[in-house]
Amino acid sequence: MKTYVARRLLALVPVALVVATVAFVLIHLAPGDPASVIAGPDASADEVERLQQQLGLDAPLPVQLVRWYGRLLQGDLGQSIFLRKPVTEAIVDRLEPTLLLTVFAVVIAVVIGVPAGVLSARYHNTATDQAFMVLALLGVSIPNFLLGLIFVLVFSVWLGWFPVAGYSPLEYGWLKTLRSLVLPAFALGLVQSALIARIARSAMLDVLREQYITTGRSKGLGERALVYKHALKNAMIPTVTIVGISFAVLVSGAVVVETVFNIPGLGRLVISAVLRRDYPVIQGVVLAIAGVYMLINLAIDLSYLLFDPRVRYR
Amino acid sequence: MSVIALPRPEGVPAERAGWLALLARRKVALAGVVTVAGMVVVGALAPVIAGDPDHMDVAARLTAPGRAHWFGTDDVGRDVFSRVVYGARLSLLVGAAVVALSFAIGLVCGLVAGYYRRLDNVVMRVMDGLMAFPAIVLAIGLMAALGPSVTNVIVAIAIVYSPRVARVVRGSVLVIRETPYVEAARALGATDAALIARHVLPNCLSPVVVQGSFVFAAAVLTEAALSFLGVGVPPYVPSWGVILAEGRLYIQQAPWLVLYPGVAIMLTILGLNLFGDGLRDALDPKVRGLAGDRQRA
Repeated sequence: MKTYVARRLLALVPVALVVATVAFVLIHLAPGDPASVIAGPDASADEVERLQQQLGLDAPLPVQLVRWYGRLLQGDLGQSIFLRKPVTEAIVDRLEPTLLLTVFAVVIAVVIGVPAGVLSARYHNTATDQAFMVLALLGVSIPNFLLGLIFVLVFSVWLGWFPVAGYSPLEYGWLKTLRSLVLPAFALGLVQSALIARIARSAMLDVLREQYITTGRSKGLGERALVYKHALKNAMIPTVTIVGISFAVLVSGAVVVETVFNIPGLGRLVISAVLRRDYPVIQGVVLAIAGVYMLINLAIDLSYLLFDPRVRYR
Repeated sequence: MSVIALPRPEGVPAERAGWLALLARRKVALAGVVTVAGMVVVGALAPVIAGDPDHMDVAARLTAPGRAHWFGTDDVGRDVFSRVVYGARLSLLVGAAVVALSFAIGLVCGLVAGYYRRLDNVVMRVMDGLMAFPAIVLAIGLMAALGPSVTNVIVAIAIVYSPRVARVVRGSVLVIRETPYVEAARALGATDAALIARHVLPNCLSPVVVQGSFVFAAAVLTEAALSFLGVGVPPYVPSWGVILAEGRLYIQQAPWLVLYPGVAIMLTILGLNLFGDGLRDALDPKVRGLAGDRQRA
């Protein structure tokens, strides 16, 4: 078990190195000299030079790369050019809405997706199953930002149940926050629940065909006990994987949906940074999200220790 | 925004021969083919069936759908029908180009990594690193670096999805490399290049082809998302994402600006997903249940 954990942690090192390098390369991928691209077409030579020094772009590339790794190890993502504050600070300022939105969406996705998948499998090839699967197919075919727009149209514009856009921070009361996040969270979560339902269903169907289920049935176990006690536990392994992946997917989905609802989260931060050519912020947000993504994947791998005893002996 | 290969549905006849016939036998997959083909026709005939997507008629701004403008007009009086039709053209172009480019990159990287053991670790770690980014986030970062243009959107999305192709290719190559017929060819003195081109490549294609329709769908989605966010194609290009972004601002007065491009995106993705599911069942009878997902552990 210890070797398993150690192996997983070690495997993270080369990936993290590549991730850091890719983020570094982003600023140098732009055609021409990065400093003059960031400064914009109207900047004077003086300004470009100052920017070059500020960003350390005057050093040779390998030196810049080593410095970049060093700074990252200290948790320093640099200074935002436009916001005039450290990138880490800018990220922390915008973390609350993105985080809450993601968690809310994951809850919706799991609460709808897992039962739908399990029920579909239990009533395999019946009308229930087919209805769920048609819905799931529609769900995986609609992009979250489109579903968000449709929700705005139906629930805000036509019915007037929810605000059209905007976010109410936690400090003004959690109920208001929750209300402002209902539509975006459903837009994100419903799409993902379709995927979870499809995976949960086929995992469940796989398990229901196993011999020990037949054994259980032949010794007279009730269908309910079979499905919910014996089969469900084993069908959870692929399901947990997909729930974990969903969390990761939804963090990045939140980045897009935030634009639909004008929620001032990480997504708005990175998009406005792109439009202002604020490269340190772009690098920082991209890195931060990739970091979260990697940690979630690690958590998924480690969760197998709980769900799959076979992993412990590997 | 998740387009991944899903496990094979139940009760599908598994036969290798005549996969086209098999595809046709599944009505659902056929519906997908028809939808996608319909989109291709619309895209190809755009200049014939649609008017000028950029023609502004300010007097007729925000007109509701009717005789003169089937899908209504937008905030500067452009015909939404024409723009959606040209949007189909762009989406399909981006999708096809991304599939071609990401397959080119992915096939080379996958073949090299799978065939040459010494390079395997290096190539695959780079691919792992690229896959550690969520697709849309990496695409946004790349677009920030490359600047807004149709070509750059294609390049950025292809970079994002090529590691996924490479992974599938490498997996098959690892198996094929050890088969007796490859060994036999090597014993006969075939060079590495000949071995890869004549024996390894053709045999690792079928699982990759299945990925093709999913990469296509993902590319269409990602382009729409990027353009919607304002970091994709330039704003003057008629793209479904651009129309949606503009429509968002007028959603109260002119819901048709959101509805029609929205339906177009949904239909396209749905068609591609159905087609992809059918293709996978037809080409890959050995895929059973969640084998792929379990291997992740």
